Amino acid sequence: MADRVAWLAGLVLLALVMVPVVLMVTALWQQSADVLSAGFLLEDPGRAGRSGGIAALLISTAWILGLCLMVAVPLGLGCALYLSESLPADSRRAQWLGGVLDMLAAVPSIVYGLFGYQFFAITLGLGFSILSGALALSLMVLPLMIRSAEQAMRAVPMGYRQARDALALSRWGWVRRILLPCAAPGIAVGIILSAGRALAETAVLLFTAGYVLRRPDSLFDSGRTLSVHIYDLAMNVPGGMPRAAATAVVLVGLLVILNLLVRRVLRQPMTEALV
Amino acid sequence: MLSRLQCSLGLMVAVFLAGCGESGSAITVSGSSTIAPLMAELAERYETETGIQVDVQSGGSGRAIADVRQGLADLGMVSRALKEDEQDLEGYLIGRDGIAIIVNSANPVRALSDDQIRAIYTGKTQRWESGPGEGRDITVVHKAQGRSTQELFLAYFQLENSQVQPDQVIGENQQGIKAVAGDPFAIGYVSIGTAIYEAENGTPIRLLPLEGAPASLAVLAQGNYPLARELNLVTHGAVSQPVADFLAFVTRTDMADVYHDYYFLPAVE
Repeated sequence: MADRVAWLAGLVLLALVMVPVVLMVTALWQQSADVLSAGFLLEDPGRAGRSGGIAALLISTAWILGLCLMVAVPLGLGCALYLSESLPADSRRAQWLGGVLDMLAAVPSIVYGLFGYQFFAITLGLGFSILSGALALSLMVLPLMIRSAEQAMRAVPMGYRQARDALALSRWGWVRRILLPCAAPGIAVGIILSAGRALAETAVLLFTAGYVLRRPDSLFDSGRTLSVHIYDLAMNVPGGMPRAAATAVVLVGLLVILNLLVRRVLRQPMTEALV
Repeated sequence: MLSRLQCSLGLMVAVFLAGCGESGSAITVSGSSTIAPLMAELAERYETETGIQVDVQSGGSGRAIADVRQGLADLGMVSRALKEDEQDLEGYLIGRDGIAIIVNSANPVRALSDDQIRAIYTGKTQRWESGPGEGRDITVVHKAQGRSTQELFLAYFQLENSQVQPDQVIGENQQGIKAVAGDPFAIGYVSIGTAIYEAENGTPIRLLPLEGAPASLAVLAQGNYPLARELNLVTHGAVSQPVADFLAFVTRTDMADVYHDYYFLPAVE
């Protein structure tokens, strides 16, 4: 009986969560119905985004996101390795560093935007460019990346570590063959969350990567991402709403695909290693 | 597995290096998000005409001032008049934006004072006092938070958004016009360019004068309409030839249509 009630309550709660999601997607779909087509993905935008598609923005977004992850993933994994392998979880230094990371993760993104603007765009002279945007963005996602990878690595059973010591495994062998494969799902979640945050970000990029609708020729060109485009069309462009909604549909679709892809890629080596 | 990883890493580095070529010098414009879409379209036209790239960056009028002072942008977009402590900058008026108070054309009201409008929007006056709508409730049409028209309206009437008691909250100008056109007891405010265009094309709305100044483009162009703001481009220091050329381009008379498209009034008509 109690089981049944709990099951029903769970179902109701699930429905409560799903209803807004479904409503959101249908609303976006309806608003964008006239605009959304294959051509929308393949054409460059015109008239400040009120005509044409989003091809140039997809390119800018891919560059910025790819570069951001290229910086954030190796750095994040390195930091997480240091935290989980060289510092005991209850040591003062680990606690202190963890606290700092959590604080950095909670800093509003506009702060990273202003810092990126001041440091990358002005001090380093990168200007409004894909490079400035990607670097500022990677700073923003690093704390999240490090924390989730660290937790995944710490969750590897103690017994494995004892076995490692008993077998006198090399450090690199342990990290590559056992630790990373075992922690892969947790790391994957960290990467997905970071990529998701990066894709959804507007405040950081408005001040660093910028607002230009052209296709970027180099990393020193300014480029507009999908979320900046949605923000601008919805807020500042008269009659921009249908294309803002269509871009939002594409963004949501991208996030779903990204999710599925990273999960699949990173689940394989774990099973291989442990079988 | 590892070799595939190495391959993809190598490829990424190659793409990265290939991307590191220096790009040609472009004109950078930054600032007001209100002007940015208009400027982006003007920049697009300039590029097709001359081949010179113009990068438009958004982020607010405050940023325009900071960017031109630091030399990060050649031109700043400022959607207000320059302040006293900004006299180191050179301003170029490119257009104006104004707000018109509108009522339904069936409404006999010809004018309302600022105090009367304030009383209507704060709920102190609830009903029309004369004409066929006498004693009927006023439908107060207000704009949603975050719209620059709303900010301008509130600032002019010295109101906080929490003081306003709206019956209907709308987003776009078109929505505001439909709300007033369809309700003889409604009052609203919309961008002046849109209102004039609609009124001239038979939509049943009337634009009310503000403090005796009629809501017309001519009065706005003279700078005599009170509920208005300037749209400026600003420079700091010497103006280079390409920037001067672009300035001349955006104030060309045949660009007027682009301004109208964004419901702004070009400074030169």
